[in-house]
Amino acid sequence: MTLNLCVLTPNRIVWDSEVKEIILSTNSGQIGVLPNHAPIATAVDIGILRIRLNDQWLTMALMGGFARIGNNEITVLVNDAEKGSDIDPQEAQQTLEIAEANLRKAEGRRQIIEANLALRRARARVEALNEIS
Amino acid sequence: MSCSNLTMWMSSKPSLSDTSSLSFCSSLNPFQLPTHTSSSSNTPRSSSVTPIHCGLRELRSRIDSVKNTQKITEAMKLVAAAKVRRAQEAVVNGRPFSETLVEVLYNINEQLQTEDIDAPLTKIRPVKKVALVVCTGDRGLCGGFNNNIIKKAEARIAELKGLGLDYTVISVGKKGNSYFVRRPYIPVDRFLEGTTLPTAKEAQAIADDVFSLFVSEEVDKVELLYTKFVSLVKSDPVIHTLLPLSPKGEICDINGNCVDAAEDEFFRLTTREGKLTVERDVVRTQTADFSAILQFEQDPVQILDALLPLYLNSQILKALQESLASELAARMSAMSNATDNAVELKKNLSIVYNRQRQAKITGEILEIVAGADALV
Repeated sequence: MTLNLCVLTPNRIVWDSEVKEIILSTNSGQIGVLPNHAPIATAVDIGILRIRLNDQWLTMALMGGFARIGNNEITVLVNDAEKGSDIDPQEAQQTLEIAEANLRKAEGRRQIIEANLALRRARARVEALNEIS
Repeated sequence: MSCSNLTMWMSSKPSLSDTSSLSFCSSLNPFQLPTHTSSSSNTPRSSSVTPIHCGLRELRSRIDSVKNTQKITEAMKLVAAAKVRRAQEAVVNGRPFSETLVEVLYNINEQLQTEDIDAPLTKIRPVKKVALVVCTGDRGLCGGFNNNIIKKAEARIAELKGLGLDYTVISVGKKGNSYFVRRPYIPVDRFLEGTTLPTAKEAQAIADDVFSLFVSEEVDKVELLYTKFVSLVKSDPVIHTLLPLSPKGEICDINGNCVDAAEDEFFRLTTREGKLTVERDVVRTQTADFSAILQFEQDPVQILDALLPLYLNSQILKALQESLASELAARMSAMSNATDNAVELKKNLSIVYNRQRQAKITGEILEIVAGADALV
């Protein structure tokens, strides 16, 4: 049985092809998905998605969303997705530092909410990079 | 026709050397111009269109400048047309996402129907403050596009003031930004600039702002003002309630709350929602078996929490895309009008120019002939 993964963002289709296995970071922790998985629906946290093609692992930074698994068909709906190989390491690291600084500076409920979101996104991108190396 | 005849006749005249006629012409030019102009403006035909009072040289430069303007407007029209195509492509690219999203939302909603859901984005609070997200364009030269949406925003602001409610504006696009900067009495929460093509990132920036405003309870309602793209020749500025979202995945109207936008706007929205429900109906038949065995990994509320920001984003992105499409369409029609106008102006100017030129040549020949006659 083959497993098909489809990663969709509002802009484009990021991934639409066959995979062997994926590891998805959901709101309740990471789950691994192999062929013939039970049909589930899950929220996807801001975090990384690891994809196995034969023996090769790929990483992708996901910016939060939703996934539906069933019938050997995985549909991941996210706001934004970036392949680990497409992320500029320096830029990602810088963004992370800026986000950390912003969170320290943040005052009031609203700013903290915003800064937290930005920090989590930046962290996911850096993590996606680190997984590769 | 007659003009060319005259020149032929003049050149065939053996008694005249070219140099003499040329010197005549140049010496006469400055003196003759005013008299010719007045005579040409007196002719009934030229005055019936628009009286054009100027000399030959000025006419020529005017024709040139009109020609240049026409080239520019034509180029802008073509560029806008090409961009419309790109904007359409962007919408098409985003379609798989939005379709799947609506499908999933529908599925989950079906299963959650019985439960009492309490997600932060769907919370309906008594409204004290309203945030207005105003989507304008980045450039002018697109007819009344920017004006219309700003007027709509002004009207809505006046309405909110009338209801005694607080408001704040989130301005998207350069034109709106400069408008609100010039009016400091309108509280603006944030200025955002649009790019050439709206992307998810941009929508995300707006969504983040709106999300934090709403969740931190600074505002209790978020409305999106944008121009809905109807067709290439028609677009309407509309008001669309963004937050609170109804868990059904529709743009909610707050039942029993008097601060909703005017009725007609909601009716316009329902036509949009009508389109959405049609899509959903198609989906329902496809996925009826799928939802039956679907399990939730987390609490349904948590899943809804993950889905609603996605929905919020896609709604904003859609609005941005529609706004861009309407802007481009408005520019296209404005520019095609300008081009038509330039063509007509050019035609009129060259008619006047030719008439004057002909009159001048006739006058010169008459003088030369009279002079030659006097010598004999």
